[in-house]
Amino acid sequence: MSRTQKPKDPNAAPSVFTVLGPYRSFVIWLIVLGILPNILTLFLPKIISAGVDAYVKGDLNLPLLALEFGLSTLGIFVLSSIQSAVQVYASEKVGRDLRSKLVQKISHQGYRFIEEKNPSKLLTNITSDIDSIKMFVSLVIVSLVSSAVIIVGATILLLMTNWRLALVVLTLIPLIGATFFFIFKQVRTLFTESREIIDWLNKVINESILGAALIRVLHSGNVEHEKFTQANSQARMVGIRILKLFSLMIPIITFVSSMATLAVLTLGGYFVVNGTMSIGSFTAFMSYIVLLIFPILILGFMSNIIAQASASYARIYETLRASDEVDVGRITESLHGKIEVKDLTMLYGEKYALKDVSLEIAPGTKTAIIGPTAAGKTQLLNVMAGLATPTFGEVLYEGHPLSSYAHASFYPQIGLVFQDSVLFQTTMRENIAFSTTVTDESLEKAIETAELTDFLLSLPHGLDTIVSERGTSLSGGQKQRLMLARALALNPKILFLDDFTARVDAQTEHKILANIEKNYPGMTLISITQKIAPIEQYDQIILLMEGEILARGTHKALMHASPEYVQIFDSQRSTNVYELRT
Amino acid sequence: MNYELNAEQNKKKLSTLAGVRSLWPYLADERGILLFAALATIANSAINLSAPLLIAHVVDTYIVAKQFHGVLLYAGILLVLYIVGLFTSYAQTRLMGGMGQRVLFNLRTKIFSKLQELPVAFFNANKAGDLISRINNDTDQLNQFFSRTLVQFIGSIVIMIGSGIFLLSIHLKLGAAALAPALGLLIFTQLISPWVKRSNAVSLTATGGLSAEVSESLENFKVVVAFNRRDFFRKRFEVANDENYKTAMKAGIANNIFTPIYGFFANLAQLIVLAYGVYLISIGSFTLGLLVGFLSYIASFYNPLRQLASLWSSFQVALAGWDRVSAILQMDNNMVVLPYALEHARESKALLEFKDVSFRYTEDKEVLHHINLTLEKGKTYALVGPTGGGKTTTASLMARLYDPTDGAIFFEGRDIRTFDSVERTQKIGFILQEPILFSGTVRENILYGNDSYKDFSNEDLIKVLHDAELESLLVRFDGGLEAKVATSGDSLSLGQKQLIAFMRAVLRNPELLILDEATANIDTVTEQLLEDILKKLPKETTRVIIAHRLNTIENADEIFFVNNGEVSLAGSMEHAVDMLLHGKRES
Repeated sequence: MSRTQKPKDPNAAPSVFTVLGPYRSFVIWLIVLGILPNILTLFLPKIISAGVDAYVKGDLNLPLLALEFGLSTLGIFVLSSIQSAVQVYASEKVGRDLRSKLVQKISHQGYRFIEEKNPSKLLTNITSDIDSIKMFVSLVIVSLVSSAVIIVGATILLLMTNWRLALVVLTLIPLIGATFFFIFKQVRTLFTESREIIDWLNKVINESILGAALIRVLHSGNVEHEKFTQANSQARMVGIRILKLFSLMIPIITFVSSMATLAVLTLGGYFVVNGTMSIGSFTAFMSYIVLLIFPILILGFMSNIIAQASASYARIYETLRASDEVDVGRITESLHGKIEVKDLTMLYGEKYALKDVSLEIAPGTKTAIIGPTAAGKTQLLNVMAGLATPTFGEVLYEGHPLSSYAHASFYPQIGLVFQDSVLFQTTMRENIAFSTTVTDESLEKAIETAELTDFLLSLPHGLDTIVSERGTSLSGGQKQRLMLARALALNPKILFLDDFTARVDAQTEHKILANIEKNYPGMTLISITQKIAPIEQYDQIILLMEGEILARGTHKALMHASPEYVQIFDSQRSTNVYELRT
Repeated sequence: MNYELNAEQNKKKLSTLAGVRSLWPYLADERGILLFAALATIANSAINLSAPLLIAHVVDTYIVAKQFHGVLLYAGILLVLYIVGLFTSYAQTRLMGGMGQRVLFNLRTKIFSKLQELPVAFFNANKAGDLISRINNDTDQLNQFFSRTLVQFIGSIVIMIGSGIFLLSIHLKLGAAALAPALGLLIFTQLISPWVKRSNAVSLTATGGLSAEVSESLENFKVVVAFNRRDFFRKRFEVANDENYKTAMKAGIANNIFTPIYGFFANLAQLIVLAYGVYLISIGSFTLGLLVGFLSYIASFYNPLRQLASLWSSFQVALAGWDRVSAILQMDNNMVVLPYALEHARESKALLEFKDVSFRYTEDKEVLHHINLTLEKGKTYALVGPTGGGKTTTASLMARLYDPTDGAIFFEGRDIRTFDSVERTQKIGFILQEPILFSGTVRENILYGNDSYKDFSNEDLIKVLHDAELESLLVRFDGGLEAKVATSGDSLSLGQKQLIAFMRAVLRNPELLILDEATANIDTVTEQLLEDILKKLPKETTRVIIAHRLNTIENADEIFFVNNGEVSLAGSMEHAVDMLLHGKRES
């Protein structure tokens, strides 16, 4: 019977049964425990009927009977308790291991993978999809085994009792098999669909939570509600389509089995009436048929669970199958700060995000990247930091391509301060010292440099204060300084700042920049910025526009050579009047 | 109000009965369906019970007597019964399943609506992943219960009651003896159910925690990669995974405890009947034939009871899920709209006034102290000051994202709390520090929450943007209005996101427009463009600008210096700069 359950699509993931591969011992236990209590249960009526027979004969030994019966009952109790414990244990273990495997896989991927896969889908993978697999492990094996045992046993008994009648019954089995197969195939695609809707729901809910403040500012709850209702209605629709198939299957199977009973009753009755079958075999035959029907029904229920698990497993498999991001880099040398960017081009579809960008940075120098919104500044930084892969061109550190560096030694040497502040729900300490290489001194120095000392002292538990998710209780400037401290705590050779000063007030900014100079001498600095005043003394300023380098040089040189640079400078001049006074 | 769902005082722990009662409103609309489904279930159970009896009758009377026409007659009757059964069994699953789906739909909608009603403070207190888990996973536990379990529940109970009465009517004492173990089971179930439910509650909480952990790490994956802290992600996940594993094991064991014990008691009943029956026969008050019959009837009482065992545990899971769901539904918005009476209106020239406003986020220390300020119509105000001084908080109070802990805020002379949200959000525009976009297109994002231009074609909309001087900003997006927007990732720069947020707010044409570092990541040339746009807003529009770049605020009519939770008027720009650069500060 179980053979018809397997998906036959050659492009699909391997059957969900392969999930059980590494757990052979569990499977064996589950099979044994699926069989034993059933056998004992079949034994109980025998004890009672033997007791009744003995009573009729007048030699009933009641205590002995009670003992036999009691022991069997106890045996069933113990075995079925163990069975359910093993079911729970096996399914939870498989679930946990599979989740770990998924997270291992995900954690070895690059940033691009997560964005392409979409976090909502990965979340469904780790939660709902795993739940279907758990259900599968805990219920399907035991049910399949015990059903198979009973079906095979009952079939043999049927054939032995009266083969002609048995053949009539067995012709109905292909009919049931066909029903299973037909419904299974349809239900499986529906389950895949329903998982995708869960992804969708996750996304809508997640966006509405992250956007909670905006939704309240715009009073757009109804818009979100509409989006949600769309996804939710779709979920209901698919749910009802699954239900329709399912509620069709059980009655059909029951009906077909009832027809078997009916056929046996009339045909068998006919045999008994014309004397070709004894009444004893007839009653036996009838009771075996009853025995046969129940496991077939169970198989019907199980096919539903198998279909669901298959759909989920295909989704999980797709994630697990992804190739790891290659970290083939072997170089572990320390960096000095020499960076070369060669003919970098990056395409987003048809559009150039970066076009033939080349630049050289000498160790210990300060470089600024300046340019209008959407000029490709952040993309350039991402490529230089190895977070994005360019379409053409390469980035060299100390003359070696970035990809030849081992991640574990490369990243601790560069400090990255992104535009957006990312805080984890853990202590301030762990948020700042977000690397295993950070020492107490380097942490202290980073905090001091980022002008966070007073702020941290004002917190109720200082460095051990827990930051809430998304850092909701912190101001934008505080978060940005925490990001800087996190990067500096690594004692980096190279520091990348992406628009770091945007949310910090001028006085603090001045102090911090001076602190960096004082505390981290010789560090190579690459700073994306909008403000010219702080970068006037930089060794190199690169003006990026629409993905191309428009001009480069020192502030003085650019003021002479680049009208665009002068335009930016002019747009800030009024500010300089005030800032010069410091 | 404490909005943290996982806080002890907000955890709902309803008893079984109270749980069922609080669920009832969701079923009330389904009363008709429930009745039909119950009838179908009863009919189906009756067919399932009577078919074997009829077959036994055929065998006893016709087959033994070799009367084939009787066999055929009853075969016909059985065929009719089976056909009826085909329909009743379909109806029972279909009706109850449909109801389960509808209840699921309604519950999810209800929770989502509730989320939309709750203030920002609620979202500060709870993790996105946990909320998602409550909406998707916990409601599904209820669906499972309604669609699968409830039918069988009713069916089992009907059959049990029938069989129980039958047993008692055959022989009162023997019947009572046969049912005695069931009484034991009842007590056992009563005693153990709270523990089972508690285990499931703990397990569902752990599931929510796992979901929260995963979604936090995935959202922040860039930092995980850049700091080479993949181990951090894995380690934190393993903690949550292990927690989930342990609690799920406990819950699983608790859920599975019923089945073997119910089986045990059922078998015990057989033994009792056998022993007691034999005794009764020996004293002559019972016959052997009756005993054999009695033993088979016990099965029809205890078999459904065995089924009830697993049904009961899934009921407990559903109740635990319901507790987590109703914890959200029980939340009240503490930012209600107050009734407005004309006599409360104050003659006021000011657009917005803070009267002795103090504010604290949760139980933390106070972040704003006794603030008084007045904004007049048509003027431009700047809020400057060091980071963490209270600028964003002040702005959030102006837009009523929070209510002051003490004091009051007046808008157009009325307590700001008397404006309903539609009116308030129309009058007050707020560009948040973190630009928020939704996946879709630039057009959808610009028009988000704005119905005025909903039906405009792209050409017409561009005309509108042109008139508002916003068209030049659209050039920064490849594909213009139809450019794709993804919420996560770097497909749009922060500056571009800020441009979208800016266009969105300006198009709404508010009376008060608050910009909270709204242009911080935009280059200074484009920023001048934005300033021009702001200047060309209608004369009566009031602007509040928070910025660190001094050139963005130099055109302000009035500058407020916000520091250490206090707001003071800076007077001239020179004075403001002086305070900013040299003033005493704490942050």
